[in-house]
Amino acid sequence: MFSQNGLSLDQAPPISVVFRFFFSGALFGLIAGVLVLLFQTNIFNPNSTEALILTHTLTLGVMLSFMFAALFQMLPVIAGVILPSPVQKANLLQYPFILGVLILLLGFYTSESWLFIIASILLGGSIFYITAIMLKDLIKLPNHSASSKGMMVALTSLTIVIILALYMTGTLSGLLQGTYYSVIKEAHYSFGLFGWIALLIISISFQVIEMFYVTPAYPKFISGYLPYKLFCLLAFGLLISFYIAKVWVLIDIFLALVLSGYAGITLKRLTQRKRPLTDATVWFWRLGLSSLILSMIFILITTFTDIETFKQLSYIFFATFALSIVFAMFYKIVPFLTWFHLNAQGYFTAPMMHEVIHPKTAMKHLYIHLATIVTFVLSLFIAPFIYLAGLLTILSFGWMTYQIVHAWKLYQHTQETGEKFDMGSMG
Amino acid sequence: MTNLKKITLDARELEHPKPLELAMKALRELNEENYFYMLHRKNPIPLIDLASEQNYQVVNREDENGDWHILICKATHIDLSEFVVPDPTKE
Repeated sequence: MFSQNGLSLDQAPPISVVFRFFFSGALFGLIAGVLVLLFQTNIFNPNSTEALILTHTLTLGVMLSFMFAALFQMLPVIAGVILPSPVQKANLLQYPFILGVLILLLGFYTSESWLFIIASILLGGSIFYITAIMLKDLIKLPNHSASSKGMMVALTSLTIVIILALYMTGTLSGLLQGTYYSVIKEAHYSFGLFGWIALLIISISFQVIEMFYVTPAYPKFISGYLPYKLFCLLAFGLLISFYIAKVWVLIDIFLALVLSGYAGITLKRLTQRKRPLTDATVWFWRLGLSSLILSMIFILITTFTDIETFKQLSYIFFATFALSIVFAMFYKIVPFLTWFHLNAQGYFTAPMMHEVIHPKTAMKHLYIHLATIVTFVLSLFIAPFIYLAGLLTILSFGWMTYQIVHAWKLYQHTQETGEKFDMGSMG
Repeated sequence: MTNLKKITLDARELEHPKPLELAMKALRELNEENYFYMLHRKNPIPLIDLASEQNYQVVNREDENGDWHILICKATHIDLSEFVVPDPTKE
C-alpha cells in the first residue's frame, strides 16, 4: 500500500532527532544521580554551589533536552509548524548546547570567569537560534490553537530566561558590574520554572490530555488565557522587582493559586475519561499534577514562614512534577514514533507499540520514580537516605536510557531486515 | 455518486494512538472500489500527511459538533467530498 519513500522528512522530523534529545536528557539525568551521590544533602541548601550545579543539570541538561525533543515532535503535529531541515537544526542546537551545559557546570564548580564566557556563547547562541526559528514559525501560523499560543508564550519566556542568565554569567565572568544581580536572579528562577517549564507542560497538556486520554476539553478561560496571564504576572514581577524586590512574594502567591487550580482541573479531567483504562502514563500525569499542587502549597507556606524544610519540599515536588510529566510523555512518544515511522515506511514487520516498550516496563519505571521521590523526602530528615536517592536517580535515568537504546535498535533492526508492503499485492 | 464500499471507523472515544493504528490497518485495505470514512474528535494530521504523501484522495471536514470527518480513497475519478454525511455510522 505504501510507497517505499514513506513519510516526507519535510513534514515529520526523523525519529533520530527526537530520540537523540531524549537520549542526551537521560544521560544528564545519570550525571544528576552521580552528583547527588557526590554532593549529598548539600544539594538542599539553595545558596550552595552544589545546589546550583544540580539545579542546572536538571533544568538545562535534563529538562531542556526533553523539552526540545517534545518541541521537535509536537510542533508539526499539534501546531502544524513544519521545521525544514530538522537534522541540521538539531545538530546546530544539540552539540553546542551539550558542550555549553558541561562548561557552565564546570564554571559553577571552579568559578573560572572564562568558562562562563564560553558557556554563554554556546548556550546563548544555540538556544536563541532554535527559539528564534520556532517562534518565527509559530507567529506566522494563520490559525492558532490553545497549545500553539501557549508554546509561543513559553518560548518567549525561555528567551527571557536566557537573557537574564546571560546577565548573570556576564557578571560572574567579570564583564558586567552586576548591579541588579539579585533582582535578575529571582526573575531568572521564576521565568525558568514557571514561565518556561510549567507553561510549556501546561500548553502541551491542553492538547494531549484530551487527545491521549479522551477527556472533556479544558474550559476556554483556562486554555485561552492561562498562558498569557501567567506570562503577564511574571513580566509584571520582573519590572516591579527593580523597585520593590518583595513583589515576588505576591507573584508567588498568585502563581501558586493559578498553578494549583490548573493541576486540580487537569486531575478532575483525568477522572472524566470515557474509557478509563489506566496505564503508567496516566499515573505519571496524576503524580506530576499532585506534586505540582504539593509544591505550590509549600511555596505558599514559605511566603509566611522561614522554615527551610518547606522550601526544600517545594523544590523536590516541583522537580517531581516536571519529571513525572516528561516520563508520561516519553512512554507515549517513543513507542508510538517507532511504530509510526516504520509503518509509514511500509514495514509490515514493524514491532507493535507494546513490543517497543511494554506497559509493564513503564509501570516498573513509575515504581522506581516513586521510590526516588520518597527517598529524597526522607533524606531531608534522615541524611543517609540521600545515597539511596542518588542511586535510584541513576536507576531511573538508566532505565530510560535503556528504553531509548532498545527502541532505536528495534527501529534499525526492522529497517535492515524488515519486509515492506508490496504495492501490487495490496490492491 | 458511485457505489463505493465504505470502511467506517468511529474513533471519537478511542484513546491515542488506537485511532491511527486502526486507520493504518484500514488504509491497507483500500482499493479502487472502496473508501475509508473516519470520525475523530481531532484532525489527525499524521494520518492526513501520510495519506496525501501516498497520493490518496483525502477530505477532512469539521462538523458543527466539533467532530472531524476524514475520508480517504484510492480512486481519483470521484469527488470524495460528496460522500460526507452527518452521521456515517448510521448507514
